[in-house]
Amino acid sequence: MQRLGRLALSLAALAALGLAFGFRPAGADPTGDPVRIGGTLALTGPLAATAIVHKIVGEIYVDNLNHGKGLLGRPVEWVLKDDQSKPDLARTLYEQLITVDKVDLLMGPYATGDILAAMAVAQRYNKVLIHHTFGIPSMAKYEWQFPAWSLGSDPAKTFPNTLFDALAAAPHPPKTIAILASKFPSVYFMSQGAREVAKTRGLQEVLYLEYEFGTQDFGPIAARVKDANPDLLFVGAIGLEGNQILDALKKIDYVPHYHFYMYPAAGPMAKSPLAANALAASIFEQHPPFTDNPVAAAFAKEYNDRAAKAGLPYTLVETQAAVSFTAWQILEAAVTATNSLDDAKIGPWLKTHPVDTIQGKLHFDGPNNYGDDLTKVKQVQDGKWVTVWPKQWAPPGATLHGE
Amino acid sequence: MPSPAIIGQSLISGTFIGALYALLGLGLSLSWGMLRQINLAHFALAFLGAYLTYQLSGVGGMDPLLTLLLIAPAFFLLGVGMHWVFVRFAVGPLGSLLATFGLTVIIESVIQWIWTADFLKLESPYGSASLRVGIFYLPVAGLITLAAAAALCFGTWAVLRYTDLGRAMRAAAEDGPMAAAFGVNVNALSRLLSGFASACAGVAGVALALSYTLAPSQIYAWIGVIFAVVMIGGLGKPLGPLIAGLVIGVSEAVTMALTAPAWAPVVSFSLLILVLLARARNI
Amino acid sequence: MRLASPVWIAAAGAAFAALAFVRLPAFYDSFLYLLALWIVLATSWNILSGYSGYISFGHGAFYGAGMYATATLAGAHGVPFLLSLPLAGLAAAALGAAVGAVAFRLRRLRGELFALLTLAVTFVLATIVLNTPLDGGQGVYLNSVTLPNLTPSPSASFYLLMALAAVVTVLLAWWVRASKLGLGLFAIHDDEDAAEVLGVPTFRYKLAAFALGCALAGVAGGIHALFISYITVGETFSILVPLSVVLMSVLGGSRHWLGPAIGAVFITALLYAFTAGDYPVLGRAAVGLILIPVILFLPEGVLGRLGRRRAALRPAEERAAGPHPARASGSDSGSPICAIRGLAKSFSGLRALDGVDLDLRRGEILALVGPNGSGKSTLINLISGHYRMDAGSVLFDGREIAGLDAHRIAHSGIARTYQIPRPFAHMSVLENVALPARFGHSALGSADAEREAWHWLDFAGLAAKANALPGELTLHERKFLELARALVSRPSLIFLDEVLSGLAPAEIEQAVATIRRIRELGATIVFVEHVMHAVMQVADRIAVLNHGQLIAEGDPREVMRRPEVVAAYLGRADA
Repeated sequence: MQRLGRLALSLAALAALGLAFGFRPAGADPTGDPVRIGGTLALTGPLAATAIVHKIVGEIYVDNLNHGKGLLGRPVEWVLKDDQSKPDLARTLYEQLITVDKVDLLMGPYATGDILAAMAVAQRYNKVLIHHTFGIPSMAKYEWQFPAWSLGSDPAKTFPNTLFDALAAAPHPPKTIAILASKFPSVYFMSQGAREVAKTRGLQEVLYLEYEFGTQDFGPIAARVKDANPDLLFVGAIGLEGNQILDALKKIDYVPHYHFYMYPAAGPMAKSPLAANALAASIFEQHPPFTDNPVAAAFAKEYNDRAAKAGLPYTLVETQAAVSFTAWQILEAAVTATNSLDDAKIGPWLKTHPVDTIQGKLHFDGPNNYGDDLTKVKQVQDGKWVTVWPKQWAPPGATLHGE
Repeated sequence: MPSPAIIGQSLISGTFIGALYALLGLGLSLSWGMLRQINLAHFALAFLGAYLTYQLSGVGGMDPLLTLLLIAPAFFLLGVGMHWVFVRFAVGPLGSLLATFGLTVIIESVIQWIWTADFLKLESPYGSASLRVGIFYLPVAGLITLAAAAALCFGTWAVLRYTDLGRAMRAAAEDGPMAAAFGVNVNALSRLLSGFASACAGVAGVALALSYTLAPSQIYAWIGVIFAVVMIGGLGKPLGPLIAGLVIGVSEAVTMALTAPAWAPVVSFSLLILVLLARARNI
Repeated sequence: MRLASPVWIAAAGAAFAALAFVRLPAFYDSFLYLLALWIVLATSWNILSGYSGYISFGHGAFYGAGMYATATLAGAHGVPFLLSLPLAGLAAAALGAAVGAVAFRLRRLRGELFALLTLAVTFVLATIVLNTPLDGGQGVYLNSVTLPNLTPSPSASFYLLMALAAVVTVLLAWWVRASKLGLGLFAIHDDEDAAEVLGVPTFRYKLAAFALGCALAGVAGGIHALFISYITVGETFSILVPLSVVLMSVLGGSRHWLGPAIGAVFITALLYAFTAGDYPVLGRAAVGLILIPVILFLPEGVLGRLGRRRAALRPAEERAAGPHPARASGSDSGSPICAIRGLAKSFSGLRALDGVDLDLRRGEILALVGPNGSGKSTLINLISGHYRMDAGSVLFDGREIAGLDAHRIAHSGIARTYQIPRPFAHMSVLENVALPARFGHSALGSADAEREAWHWLDFAGLAAKANALPGELTLHERKFLELARALVSRPSLIFLDEVLSGLAPAEIEQAVATIRRIRELGATIVFVEHVMHAVMQVADRIAVLNHGQLIAEGDPREVMRRPEVVAAYLGRADA
């Protein structure tokens, strides 16, 4: 039954797509052999939670290219494989893409471990690798790897400053801080950074706790937070940990004055009635001024439709989807500008030329090819994520709410 | 020295997670101890139950607790079917572990197919509500879990100990052929037990859905600690998971309250090691 | 058991390893590398767990120990990568040996207890690594470590390394299988207590097999650390590592040295077959759908039926049965061979034996009688080392054997049978009898042991059943198999525990005749028996136990008339 329902849905989706693209302003149809772009995503396994986001975005982008001018006038084929969340498999699959499938270009995966595995392969074959959500910029050593997630080269220092700036401008700036650090690599070092920056900025640390990624019972940690009663609770959490901590806090009836979660699962947290005023890091949210960019607006609309059809619980564009889209934008821009599929031309061009993306203008001329840290601060307001800092990215009238 | 509020609240928290351990461990312990089947798919079934609760309650609007009326019988039948296959192929403990690993992978895929791998959280009136007692808070979802765990564990214990059905079950578990010689329908009892164990997974699933954010990969997150609970409690002993669950839950919580929370897993697994060594020495 | 020549394995392995030099596209190198990795992991696991039945769920811990050893040594301390690999193996072996030294001392720590213990070790180790500078939570990035250029390309070099590891591992697995160690491990698999009593040094064997398997897993971990170059605790110590390894070994056939390798290739290729991005979820479901029927229909694995039994042919030229050691030593019959003093044992407070003194005389047949629960079997279990005595001394041939491990007691020349026969279920009758000839008092080589076994099969009237499995024998035949196993090591002292119980009258006559023939060979016999007319017929002397105490000994007819003996037999209203 479920299967049949699915099938019907899929057919409907296909029909809808056909219609949607039927009304698209037609450019010259791409012709010739397709440009083959190879990549993997962790479509199954422990990292699969956001895979479908990246897959939908890639499909949207490739469809758009193929219904527009293609790449260099040629159609585009995305050779996508499932790395099953295993870095050793990711490595092998990238080697397959390069040495056997002989794809023209690579599109990187998401998640730090898989990206590092892919990066090592790209390096051996001098291929350009544009990757999605790479968490630890200091590890990105290859000269032709390009991050689509504009964290800057030292986010552990820059981002906490952004956050503390935002809070310093808020109604009651925090004076004390409690830090909870998940021992998950790509957030752990951010917690360490926040700890140091907090010290230099005169925030008094009243509690610092590390917990294992995979902890199920946050009750005792919540009790210690409540006891410490900080002005700001900084949680270096990834995925569902943010929600778990929120739940645990709510169960003992404690509402933090300010509370920040590093990379939470966007959907469940926005929908949680407990998450009012929760802060988080962001790169893009689906509201003005981001959506003033017509490319972003069109993408967002398309994404909302497809995400809903795919059964995703949260259908708005946020960091993962936006970064994924950015990666494709970077690739298209470089290929178009160099008029070439040659990595030896694309790589050097990207190192010296900024690219306009839905995140803003991205530079790749800093350490490890990182440009500025464009991370923003968002907050749950009325069940929606709203960017509140820096000011120029906040929707008209929005401010950071306190308690 | 941490305040009494921290210690007390941690004890409460540990008790409730211990109850969830018990609920997840009970079915596993029964089928392991009494049927010699190591049902790894128990975890996947529990998550399937949790997702069904999400669907029926979060999307369908049912009261989460009422979903049990649908989930428990459905899972019972599933358990009966599973047992039929195991008997048909005369699967031993290791074979059952591996076969149910395959089943786990299938259930995980089904969950991802229907609900995607993205995180889901059931928002229910039970989820975040708490009762206040003095300076302490008793989360409603935790109380429900504890009540369910206690009822199931004590209920199973009483049935096994005081009823003819239970005595027959224990006899069948002890020595099947002998019990059969005394006119016990061993197969029917085993099917009943397997169905019950599977229904327990359904109940645990509802409890999971009340308190936890769901993702298919979370199926594997509980295996280690629940195995520890089941082993410490003693295979096939219905009160075992409850006692062991509470001991582990509370000792982990106290560790997290007093010292570095990241070291908490060492407590439960060191405890397991000590219990195993002590048990091996004493037999 | 001649399974396959190691030359063949080495040649096939070298051919595969040579693929590293043919400049394949890197993908094939890496794919073959993954196959080799899992071959090493599954095969190394199998050396202890498959052969001896001690299922370990801790293989992830040892593989992880190797990973972090290389990561720490090569990454943080600048040890050359290739040098770090043996050290990684050593670290893993040390960890395995430490776990084994504790676990294997406890006789009951088998089956699921051992599985869970090793799983717990994995999680404890993971937490330690996570919270110490070994990892700390950041993961370890090995970008500063370089792989020496063994071949034209890095992927081929990795493959070459892992292929060599795989060849060595399979060779070792074959060697263990074919050696005395393997024979002992297989005996442990079927009945560990019986193996120990027949002379297998079970503790040392298990420890050696475990350490060897762990070392190999550690080396594989060390290589793999650099292959993925970024290692994290979550991935390394995942529950999926031991699960996959067990799955591979069982699927391939864990009783065969090549089984795990076949399972590893099958599973790795199966997972790889579903890496297309179109329907990943369906692909994953397909993996599960394929696994279940394979496990259900092939419970013993692909190679389960292969190489199990090769009909043993009777050697043409048979060595004449040598003189019996007892007689050969020419010692005077009637002198004491074994002096038992103050033997005591309690089971959870209940005194099973309460200070028994007893002398056994060379060449005699002593019957040990007494009501049920009087301590007869306990006495045998204590002297044979099956149980440890609480107090007392046993001087055998002038040497103290109290407190020795059972296999050492067997080496010294004491053998026993079990009341309920405990043959090794997966070994043929011939193999069952040959095993104690290799491990026991006489410690023969493989060919001599087999010749000797044929001799005792003749003696026990079982030569026609030499190739049968014990399960195919009648109870009577199994009792004689038990007897042949005890005799084959040519002990000077034999304990027979109720060899006559359950036999038909005609069979009892035959057995009594056999007991006499054993004595004629020069051995001293102590037999526990309830069949009193047989006792009176064959025993030179009789000793009566009651409530754990020796209440009478001497001439059979005279002793059985004593009032306290009569009372002990008649007055057992306690039952």
